[in-house]
Amino acid sequence: MKQEYAYWIALAHLPRMKTARKNELIVRFFEEKQNIVDFFQCEKSDWQNLFSLNEKEIELLNNAKNELANYSFLVEDLLEQGYDIIPITSPDYSPIIKNNLKRAYSPPLIYTKGNKQIMKENSIAIVGSRKAEAISLEFTDNVAKTASKDYKVVVSGFAKGVDKQALDSAIKYKGQSIIVLPQGITTFKSGFKKYYKQIINGDVLVLSTFFPKAPWSVQLAMARNSIIYGLAKEIYVAESSEKGGTWSGVVDGLRKGRNIFVRTPLSSEKNANNLLIQKGAIPVDSQGDKIENYSFQEMKALVVNKPSSTLEDVDSKIIKLLSLGVFSSKEIIKRLKIDWTTRKLTNYLKKNQNIEVLNKKSPMKFTIKRKENIQQSLF
Amino acid sequence: MTRNEAEIKLKKIFGFDKFYDEQWETIDMLLRGKKMLLIEKTGYGKSLCFQFSATQFDGITVIFSPLIALMRDQVNSLNEKGIPAKHINSEQTYEENSQVIQDAINGKIKILYIAPERQENQEWIEATRKMNLSMIVIDEAHTISVWGHDFRPAFRRIINLVQLLPKELPVLATTATATKRVQADIEQQISGNLTTIRGNLLRENFNLFVIETKSEDEKLLWLAENINKLPGIGLLYTGTRVNTEIYARWFDFVGINSTDYNAGLDGDTRKEIEKGLMNNKWKCVVSTNALGMGIDKPDIRFIIHTQIPASPIHYYQEIGRAGRDGQKTFIILFYNSKKDDDGVPEDYKLPKAFVDGGRPNIKKYQRVINAVKQEQLGERQLLKKTNMKQTQIRVIKADLIEQGIIKEVKFGWSKKYEYQFNAPELNTAKFDELRNAKLKDLDSMVDYVFTQEPRMKFLCEYLGDTLPTKFENCDNTKYKKRTVNPKKETISKLIEFRETYFPALNVESNNSNIKNGIASSYYGVSNVGAALHRCKYENGGDFPDFLLKLTLKAFRKTFGNQHFDLIVFVPPTSSGELVKTFAEKISYVLKIPVSHKLVKQRETQPQKVFQNGYLKRDNVSGAFNYTEPNEINNKNILLVDDIFDSGATIKEIGKLLTNFGAKTIVPLVIARTVGGDM
Repeated sequence: MKQEYAYWIALAHLPRMKTARKNELIVRFFEEKQNIVDFFQCEKSDWQNLFSLNEKEIELLNNAKNELANYSFLVEDLLEQGYDIIPITSPDYSPIIKNNLKRAYSPPLIYTKGNKQIMKENSIAIVGSRKAEAISLEFTDNVAKTASKDYKVVVSGFAKGVDKQALDSAIKYKGQSIIVLPQGITTFKSGFKKYYKQIINGDVLVLSTFFPKAPWSVQLAMARNSIIYGLAKEIYVAESSEKGGTWSGVVDGLRKGRNIFVRTPLSSEKNANNLLIQKGAIPVDSQGDKIENYSFQEMKALVVNKPSSTLEDVDSKIIKLLSLGVFSSKEIIKRLKIDWTTRKLTNYLKKNQNIEVLNKKSPMKFTIKRKENIQQSLF
Repeated sequence: MTRNEAEIKLKKIFGFDKFYDEQWETIDMLLRGKKMLLIEKTGYGKSLCFQFSATQFDGITVIFSPLIALMRDQVNSLNEKGIPAKHINSEQTYEENSQVIQDAINGKIKILYIAPERQENQEWIEATRKMNLSMIVIDEAHTISVWGHDFRPAFRRIINLVQLLPKELPVLATTATATKRVQADIEQQISGNLTTIRGNLLRENFNLFVIETKSEDEKLLWLAENINKLPGIGLLYTGTRVNTEIYARWFDFVGINSTDYNAGLDGDTRKEIEKGLMNNKWKCVVSTNALGMGIDKPDIRFIIHTQIPASPIHYYQEIGRAGRDGQKTFIILFYNSKKDDDGVPEDYKLPKAFVDGGRPNIKKYQRVINAVKQEQLGERQLLKKTNMKQTQIRVIKADLIEQGIIKEVKFGWSKKYEYQFNAPELNTAKFDELRNAKLKDLDSMVDYVFTQEPRMKFLCEYLGDTLPTKFENCDNTKYKKRTVNPKKETISKLIEFRETYFPALNVESNNSNIKNGIASSYYGVSNVGAALHRCKYENGGDFPDFLLKLTLKAFRKTFGNQHFDLIVFVPPTSSGELVKTFAEKISYVLKIPVSHKLVKQRETQPQKVFQNGYLKRDNVSGAFNYTEPNEINNKNILLVDDIFDSGATIKEIGKLLTNFGAKTIVPLVIARTVGGDM
């Protein structure tokens, strides 16, 4: 088992391959009752035939293979310093992430320090601006208090403002917390010092999905948001502006059908909380309790500026639709209201590795590629 | 590659015609990416297995070796053959090591020797990410087993590493000394399809003797009369560092050409002595067992132990350094079997004490655990928090890491210990098991002394070799037993030596004008210690005159022709006026004025309360003042005290007097303790 770690690092941080594709390979060898060492030991022909790897991908994997010994040294150092390395196939891996992020976005490998059991507990995330108002911090405190009382783990991102408040409050109320890092796990020295007692007592788990030595960056901070959403069963939004990490995270979450609770703002507040409620988030009061008949009377006619659909949006919408059945390009455009031409979409769908072409004659029909036994295994 | 093809290359690169069968078997497996354990006796040619294989790989071969001397020798010999090899170790400067690491990253090195401790070094770990690694070698692999004779905690990480290496990366572990139990332990630890090749360990060219004595003096006497009669040059192993010094001074005294060597010497001196040994500069090097491991000298003609080692396997390992050329070699072991009042043989006591003291008591473990539970602590902080000896802390720390209770975590360049969430309870049963095993080993060593069997047979069987050979190379078979029958003049020489031998106080440093001083005796190896103890702690009155005479003798012998302007004495903590009176008497005899102006400006604790150098230093730091500094300027000062332990007090006063302009400060004390911490 321990020998697999270097292989997992090689695959998880393989550049120029999407998470979805990596997970697809993992699912494949997992179903074959093989481990990752076996996968890397495969002959080229097996890679081509059993895993449908193309030349480009084989080249990527061969490069990664050459670095395995190097990763062994890294793994030794990580384990020696008390970090846990948890592959997606491990029974320690968070079932909540798998359930939320599914195969497309679940990180193949996570690094943690502390009580990894708390990844399996009921959990909530509290998110919001780095420059949140006092009222939002108060809300955060209330929600963290209730969560701690109900033995729910509070997930937060260790940014200033709401994140920090969520963590501090959970600690204050003797609850449990997961800190999701916007950086590699070995670069969090000051945090490990600060939360030393909570970590060794099993109340705080520090988690990162990035390469262990990666320094903080904006990109990682953005990517980290989806992990926070992935780790939580429920999401509470204290305060969001109309752009930035919180906003895009919530919008993305709503699109994926997550339950997201947004604090209803006072009329004097200038934030985008109401906008999120309009987009389908659930309004809650200052205690985090659901408000049944929330009226938008306070909101002046708020025009929702639809963010122009990005490629990723389109992709996930299509996958969602196709998972329901079989459609042609024309039908998809109509259903999803995408402003693409039929030809553009057809070409796009043909190239997508997750989508299967069912009817080669015009009009082509598409559906999602189905794998036998997927559900009973990894996800 | 076939054996034929390989042997053509062997001839070209190394100049040898053929591999031994077991060498080729090993190489063949390594070239096919397998993991191997090779157990062969010293001098067999284990190194060739990895050296040859390394030349056949694209990337770099990393060799973890605990033996710096061996690294140096092998690197030199590889470079002579045109194979790019280098080493990284604590004897090189930071810049030198960094350069080697760069070369390794840039693919300029085929074979890199490295000390296992380096696995804790951040720069090295970073560098390993960028190297093209082809093979990992663990030399002296018995050191990875706690059942081996020389377990090293640093190797724990190497074992972890090996378990994490990719399946197809070749790994070779080698050792010349492994019992079946150690072999099984290595196999289990490295796991993952390890193939073991075990050769026979018989050394036919050894002539083995045991000389039973009834006193420590008998050893000195026999050696004085016989060492020059032994052929060639050799090594004398003593049980302690102090004894290396005493034996070497004794040899000086009787005109035997020797030098002393121990791990307390600095790197340059050690290198110098190793070089001298290679060039037969001395008849004999007197050493703790730190010397000789891995020194590539084929013609060490004799090895003498003045103390029994901890087990037959230690003994086999240590004598294995001699006679690699296959020529006749003398192997002599002394054993003082005189029993004390409790019926314990004198020479059983020291190794028994090592076993008993091998682990601190459980309360101390708990003290460390409790401290680390409170906050992350570095070693120095831990020493201060717990007031324990550094050696003890290191044992405890290694055990706690081993049991997964704490971890050593890096903070930039420093390291701290962290308690682990969900840490298991301390498992003390393991310690008892290990202690019992060690006592059994020690008793086996005593069995070796008294065995009637052929001695080589005894050793081979202990190691797990069963050979049908007839053994005829010891004092139980072909040779006559040696006994001690000294001449009268040798005995009187020894008495003279005992009266004129004085231990040095090594305190010199760059930023102080303090010089190395002298003590009249060791505390605890003569009646001096007992007399001191009576006066200091049992109200025995002033130090007796024989101490004054002995101290003056030490002074005259060492500093008799130097001029001193002033005697200064260390002000007391709790033992009243003893040192003051003593210094006044010295002043009276030597006619050097004595000063009473060195004073304490704050309370200090008796130094013996503190168990480690950091706390001792803290205890006296800034504690002293000299009330009339002008008196000191440009003076040569004799600094008097009763007992010298870590030297922290003497050094602190030396610094103070240096600041006040003292020209030289020479410490003179009654007794030096044996083995002060740091």
